[in-house]
Amino acid sequence: MSLPLYYYLSITAVNILMSWCLYLPYRVAQLHFITVANMAISGYTAGYLVMTFHVPFGLSLALGFLLGGVIGYVVSLFIGDAPTFAVVIVGFTFIYITRTVIENTPAVGGTMGMFGLPNIGGSPSFHRFAIIVILYGLVILVGFIIHRFDHSSLGRAASAVFADKDLALSLGIDIRKLGMLLQTFSCTVAGGTGVLYGFIYKSFHLDFFTFQLVGIAMTIIFVGGYTTMWGTVVAAPLLYGVPLLFPPAVAAWRIVIYGALLMLVMIVKPEGFITRRSVFHVEAFLSRSRAKLNDSYP
Amino acid sequence: MGKVKFVVLGAIAAVFLMADPGFAQAQGSEWRVPFLNCLTGPIASIGEYLQWGAERAALEINEAGGIKGRPVKVVGIDTALDPQKGSVEMARIVSENTLVALGPVPEPVIMAAMPIAVENHMMSMTATTSYEYAVKFFPWTVSWFPPTAQRLAELVAAWARLHPEIKTAIQFVEPYGPWPGMAEAHAKGLTGAGVKVLGKIDVPTDAVTFGPLVVKALEQKPDGIVFVCNAEKIAKIIKELRARGWTKMNHLLVFSSGDAPELYATGGSDINGVEIYNYINPDINTPRWNAFKQAYMKAHNGNQPPSLSTNYYDALYMIKRAIEKTAVTGNPDKLKEERKMLAEYIFNMKDFHGIMFNWNMKNGVPTDKPTFIFSIQNGRKKLIKEVRP
Repeated sequence: MSLPLYYYLSITAVNILMSWCLYLPYRVAQLHFITVANMAISGYTAGYLVMTFHVPFGLSLALGFLLGGVIGYVVSLFIGDAPTFAVVIVGFTFIYITRTVIENTPAVGGTMGMFGLPNIGGSPSFHRFAIIVILYGLVILVGFIIHRFDHSSLGRAASAVFADKDLALSLGIDIRKLGMLLQTFSCTVAGGTGVLYGFIYKSFHLDFFTFQLVGIAMTIIFVGGYTTMWGTVVAAPLLYGVPLLFPPAVAAWRIVIYGALLMLVMIVKPEGFITRRSVFHVEAFLSRSRAKLNDSYP
Repeated sequence: MGKVKFVVLGAIAAVFLMADPGFAQAQGSEWRVPFLNCLTGPIASIGEYLQWGAERAALEINEAGGIKGRPVKVVGIDTALDPQKGSVEMARIVSENTLVALGPVPEPVIMAAMPIAVENHMMSMTATTSYEYAVKFFPWTVSWFPPTAQRLAELVAAWARLHPEIKTAIQFVEPYGPWPGMAEAHAKGLTGAGVKVLGKIDVPTDAVTFGPLVVKALEQKPDGIVFVCNAEKIAKIIKELRARGWTKMNHLLVFSSGDAPELYATGGSDINGVEIYNYINPDINTPRWNAFKQAYMKAHNGNQPPSLSTNYYDALYMIKRAIEKTAVTGNPDKLKEERKMLAEYIFNMKDFHGIMFNWNMKNGVPTDKPTFIFSIQNGRKKLIKEVRP
């Protein structure tokens, strides 16, 4: 695999995972930006363990997931059923606090950042192979879990909460527990993704975890479609990949193009390009094809 | 709806068709030097004059016959301050037949992209960051500045000795990249010169009002103040200081990264008398510098060249000299050895004739670059003292 393709694919996987981390809590109308802080906390912690105590990468990755989950769970105890803006404010505040703590922690490099993370397995080629396999393994696993969630009674409950909280309550849905579940799961995934993000670059810098990352994930979700997980899968590689192919003259207009695209989508297709209806059509088509195939081989 | 989809898909297809083919194929006819720069985004104004400096050098070199008879072209690659984009672009650069690159700019992109250059044994000259960042990527980059702790301590001590009436001092410090480290070096220098350092005032990166910070500083009754934050913030803090009765303007010292157009544009006449240190002296009078200055002012509505505008100008000349003094041919078949040859030569280049002064590199670090202390008067810097190592 060529080097640019490796970076493109690995960062696309990170963007897919981080967009899903926002997508899931948004199923109950919560914009949970704390996931970006989770990335930084787990990433820096894992980096510190690997660099200082020579903890194996696998173990530090597992700890990254765990740390993300624990933080997500503890915070969700307080904001499991909080309204959208309260969750947004908690997320932003958490990002600020995390940045300030890291800035003032010399052990993890403070404002300078953390340099020289080692190659997994000792060689650059194995490192790249491992990163891609882990990331896309994670994409498949998380995608499968979200797919099952979306098609489960929990998923339907989340849709009810999104549409009308009072209605959901009257149906006997425990909004708080549902919110806690989604927040904790998102934070767990974000924690592990943060570790992998740093290991792609082999370094950590506070500016890897800024509101720009929130912006990227939000654009992916809202352009791709926030009502289904597939919008993210389609939008992440396109929104990240297409600007890389812009010729220099067009590249300078990238932000304008992004803005115009977002406005266009908001006006023309407020639910994003991939909607539940379009996913339903594809699923129906596939099931018809399967049925035809089964008929051919009785 | 169908039409809209058609338009969007058509636009995406058009972009793909216009896509830049890359650097590799042109290496035979010209020297192409990619420059990973920030041409859009929050620091686009800085990226513009860094790019201008590099392209000015390319223009001069080409007018004088190029490098080994072939023209040189600086190809600006915009990372928009995005580490994600920076890493993919650096991966693309090292995968093509690039001998040497300029940038990346600034620190977050350096952190994401430089490991790729190091892993692929290609020099990429990060000419705007501090020694502490550059040293992590030696020998595949060089430091433009000597180690911060050593040089800045000497420099600020020299400033303190210019003003023996300063007995106590305070610093405004923004937590960005190497800046806290620079503040520590200042404190060391001030202490060495017999000045009591009262502490530091943290300037939040997202600060918009500075009154409370200034009140906090003035409560400690400092004789002198050193600024280690963003240029625009420095100007606003100085305005607040003046509004609260501060009159000893020469007891205010601005660090080198504050020497940016925003300081002068926002500060106006309120920063008259303030002192500032930097690594270049715009008042030197040489034909080469004068020509650079004139061309810059012509291209920038009469504005003076900012302090970093010469860095990539000099960096391109270093590349020129390295190519000319080594057996580098640009032959893609010898890419690996020629990359190494160039890097080794630049890493220890002797008697380099920069636009401002001559200097030597030893193991990637400039050993004898001078530093300067100026007084600001009506948007211009007037030299007060040159500090040599």
